[in-house]
Amino acid sequence: MTEEVNKEELKQKVLEYLAKKPWQVRDLAKVLRVKKRELDKIVQELINEGKAAYWSSGSTTYVTTKDKLEEMEKKRSGT
Amino acid sequence: MTDVELPETPLLDELEKGPWPSFVKEIKRAAIEQEKAMKAGKKIKLPGAAKGLLKVLELAYKEKRTHWKHGGIVAVVGYGGGVIGRYCDLEDKVPEVWHFHTMRINMPSGWFYQTKALRAICDAWEKWGSGLTNFHGSTGDIILLGTRTEYLQPMANALAYLDKLYGSPAPFDIGGSGSDLRTPSACMGPALCEFACYDTLKACYEFTMRYQNELHRPMWPYKFKIKCSGCPNDCVAAKARSDFAIIGTWKDEIQIDQEAVKEYAKVIDIEKQVVKKCPTGAMSWDGKELKIDNRECIRCMHCINVMPKALKPGKERGATILIGGKAPFVDGAIIGWVAIPFIPENELIEKCCEVLEAIWEWWDEEGKFRERVGELIWRKGMDEFLKVINQKADVRMVYAPRNNPFIFWRELNQ
Amino acid sequence: MVAQEVEKEPEETVEIKTDFGPPHYEIMLHPIIKKNYGKWKYHEVVRPGVIKRVAESGDVLYVVRFGSPRLLSVYTVRDICDIADKYSDGYLRFTSRHNVEFFLTDPDKIEPLIQEVQEKLGFPCGGTWDATKGEYGLSNIVHTQGWVHCHTPATDASGIVKSVMDELYDYFTDHKLPALCRISLACCANMCGAVHASDISMVGVHRKIPKIDDDAVRRTCEIPSTVAACPTGALKPDMKRKTVILDKDKCMYCGNCYTMCPGMPIFDPENDGVAVLVAGKISDARYPPQLSKVVVPWLPNNPPRWPEVVQTVKKILETWATHAEKYERIAEWVHRIGWERFFELTGLEFTEKLIDDYKRTPYIYASYRTSAAFRW
Ligand code: HEM
Ligand code: HEM
Ligand code: HEM
Ligand code: HEM
Ligand code: SF4
Ligand code: SF4
Ligand code: SF4
Ligand code: SF4
Repeated sequence: MTEEVNKEELKQKVLEYLAKKPWQVRDLAKVLRVKKRELDKIVQELINEGKAAYWSSGSTTYVTTKDKLEEMEKKRSGT
Repeated sequence: MTDVELPETPLLDELEKGPWPSFVKEIKRAAIEQEKAMKAGKKIKLPGAAKGLLKVLELAYKEKRTHWKHGGIVAVVGYGGGVIGRYCDLEDKVPEVWHFHTMRINMPSGWFYQTKALRAICDAWEKWGSGLTNFHGSTGDIILLGTRTEYLQPMANALAYLDKLYGSPAPFDIGGSGSDLRTPSACMGPALCEFACYDTLKACYEFTMRYQNELHRPMWPYKFKIKCSGCPNDCVAAKARSDFAIIGTWKDEIQIDQEAVKEYAKVIDIEKQVVKKCPTGAMSWDGKELKIDNRECIRCMHCINVMPKALKPGKERGATILIGGKAPFVDGAIIGWVAIPFIPENELIEKCCEVLEAIWEWWDEEGKFRERVGELIWRKGMDEFLKVINQKADVRMVYAPRNNPFIFWRELNQ
Repeated sequence: MVAQEVEKEPEETVEIKTDFGPPHYEIMLHPIIKKNYGKWKYHEVVRPGVIKRVAESGDVLYVVRFGSPRLLSVYTVRDICDIADKYSDGYLRFTSRHNVEFFLTDPDKIEPLIQEVQEKLGFPCGGTWDATKGEYGLSNIVHTQGWVHCHTPATDASGIVKSVMDELYDYFTDHKLPALCRISLACCANMCGAVHASDISMVGVHRKIPKIDDDAVRRTCEIPSTVAACPTGALKPDMKRKTVILDKDKCMYCGNCYTMCPGMPIFDPENDGVAVLVAGKISDARYPPQLSKVVVPWLPNNPPRWPEVVQTVKKILETWATHAEKYERIAEWVHRIGWERFFELTGLEFTEKLIDDYKRTPYIYASYRTSAAFRW
């Protein structure tokens, strides 16, 4: 039970971070002091739920929130 | 004559001249025919894209600079790679290509096609994109060049149902980009080449299928490439262009057909063209018999290349694995180096998977952002890497032993 | 206003499917290839561009190769398919160097095929070599996107390739070279084209640091991720002014920051250009694989036909072709004659720019065996 709560809390926290800027999952894992593998799973869930999304530099990949992604793409697609 | 009007492109027109086939003609052709197809009632979602590209490219030629900006969008549900986002910085002048994203499509092993499959891709891309392609991108994927964000998912769906919707013999899936497993590629191997020491097409297909998750959901420090070449000629440039190069080779004797050698002797100078060119001097020829000292042979392929009817790789076949190959960014270019001298053919795919998974786990844990596996090994040392892949050191991994005694005796200094 | 009911396309209503992978290669194989899979006996070069493959079963397949511009419209791909349907039983293949190959069983069809491809597509037949005779053709140039599609190029790709291949056309259609010569082009030093191990390569090089447009940075960029994207640590955030500061001594002009931040373009029309590298090699034949070496640090971008680049490449190729022995690739030739002679014969200038001072590649790497050629 507590695990569930913790996970939901962590998910929420992850979303807060992702909303600030695009992250490399490995960097975020260090900041949040969780195992990268664990965070990979959480991030994947958030992506599947449509809350988070990938942002790709072509050679490397980041994760951010869906809203932040739209904001970023809007900014850069304008002149 | 066409009734389609093209923009003026005096600089690009120069590149329609000359004997080599012209990419400018291709862009113009797409511009003209896509518009015609639309006028004829075909569904075309992005008319004018190729025309827009002509305008942007002409300006690039005039100003000697690019007009593209990077976009990070992937926008295909479930996938984190395979789309390269592009926006044009001339949106007001050339709105047709304001969005011009590329899709990378996973090609079949060895780049073999039925025309039915290619036609289906063409039909879908005529409808949902610019009608422009690359056969192929330098990683090996089919490149579909230029569409808008909102058409990425429908085009991905068109490919996923290419059999049902467009009559292809099979659907096509999206390839890799970003920090993921890039689309693996293979030389034509046993399909056409008598030198192949293992089934490159099968290996490539197996890796691709087994690692769909790694290919589509980037989670590593950086990209990872696997390439399969059937022999040391390395026709897909695996040694230089992949982190994990699988190079076909053999352990026993080169197979010689002495009669066929004599036939060659009638048309070429065997002493000069073959024996003298052997890097280890492993061969001799007395006009009747070609001898090879197979303990000296380093399987460089030269003699076999010159006399393919007479010489064949040995029968005890398998592959050498080279690790770490990459382009110069950031720490300099690397040609991969020997990580596993030999894996027998019948164990090859399983063993490679075991090793790949061990490498990925280590690299994912230890790798820094944008650190390729080769660079991580430099940072951590071959001794640690060998533990990860569970291999003993072998003199074949180096040209020469180290020339300094500054050995880190980690086990004595815990 | 009554919105007109937009009819959904089938692609917009299907259930989303993922991770099913590429088509199985077997369904893409010509029946003769499928039948003789792994059972090929030998090959023979019939003429430039045409390789006869003989199977243990006695089956014969003529593989006919044509150079393509890589960038193809779907209309040309359909023409290629028409030709494959007519001559090649509906099967074809592309090579790793952007060539297209058809499979014929009847040798009498070879000439008509070559003619029809020339008429309909304008693709030349060639790109092969005859190792037995030691006579080599030039294959197609592997290249990247350039101004056609990428955001960091220091030069175009397709335009230079077209210009070089126009000039070297006869080397593609004929077997006039003493050994293999692989030419490649990458439009920036990221080297998507991985041209770092080619006999001759052209690489787009930036020479100036990105131009920071503070205003555009504020409008369009994520400052922390832009700073983090720099591989050399040349960027620092300027919190007060909400922009970035660049240490010009650390910058390697890679353009990674521009990928993250459209507010600091790396392109520079007058200072961007092309470097030329030579003597790379990948196969193990005779001489171990080698990285390419820079012999011309910079040539200007001179579109549409880049005469300086074309002439430099031609000069290197022809000097080598005149002086090399049979089978001697550029790396092997230079190894025999020495770099002193290379610069003397080609007339290229050796300058301080060609002496390595990029310190990041570790010295240990030199002792690693970059080849599958070793004794058991
Ligand atoms: C930070 C460094 C890099 C960045 C930002 C980068 C970015 C890109 C981008 C944006 C593209 C897409 C080009 C387009 O379609 O417009 C691309 C393509 C590609 N990249 Fe990179 N890249 C980097 C390094 C590399 C390296 C080191 C390699 C090779 C080992 C590489 C191999 C490729 C290949 C093979 C392609 C396909 C190119 C083609 O087929 O034309 N990239 N890269
Ligand atoms: C297949 C056989 C050979 C291989 C693989 C080979 C390989 C090499 C390599 C990798 C180097 C370092 C050069 C460089 O960094 O570019 C080298 C240097 C050298 N090799 Fe070879 N070599 C071979 C045969 C020979 C032969 C037969 C000779 C002379 C008879 C020779 C004479 C030299 C000399 C003199 C140097 C030093 C060159 C210099 O420092 O300027 N090599 N060799
Ligand atoms: C002064 C004479 C020579 C020098 C300085 C020299 C130098 C070298 C060097 C530095 C290598 C390492 C390869 C590399 O780093 O890429 C090498 C490899 C090799 N050399 Fe030489 N070499 C000489 C003579 C010869 C001769 C005379 C032969 C045979 C005729 C020969 C055959 C080879 C072979 C086969 C290799 C590859 C060995 C392997 O990978 O196991 N070398 N040589
Ligand atoms: C049976 C003999 C061979 C066959 C069937 C064969 C086939 C091929 C094919 C189909 C390609 C792609 C070519 C293209 O895209 O135009 C290729 C590329 C290549 N082959 Fe071979 N090849 C053979 C022998 C050799 C030999 C003798 C060498 C070297 C001495 C060699 C080295 C290479 C290299 C270096 C590439 C290009 C890789 C790259 O730079 O991208 N191959 N080969
Ligand atoms: S790498 Fe070897 S096996 Fe593969 S196609 Fe080239 S020559 Fe044949
Ligand atoms: S494969 Fe190379 S090393 Fe072996 S005998 Fe032939 S030429 Fe010599
Ligand atoms: S080589 Fe550089 S400029 Fe060219 S496509 Fe690749 S990343 Fe873009
Ligand atoms: S161009 Fe490259 S090295 Fe220079 S500041 Fe930008 S990211 Fe850093």
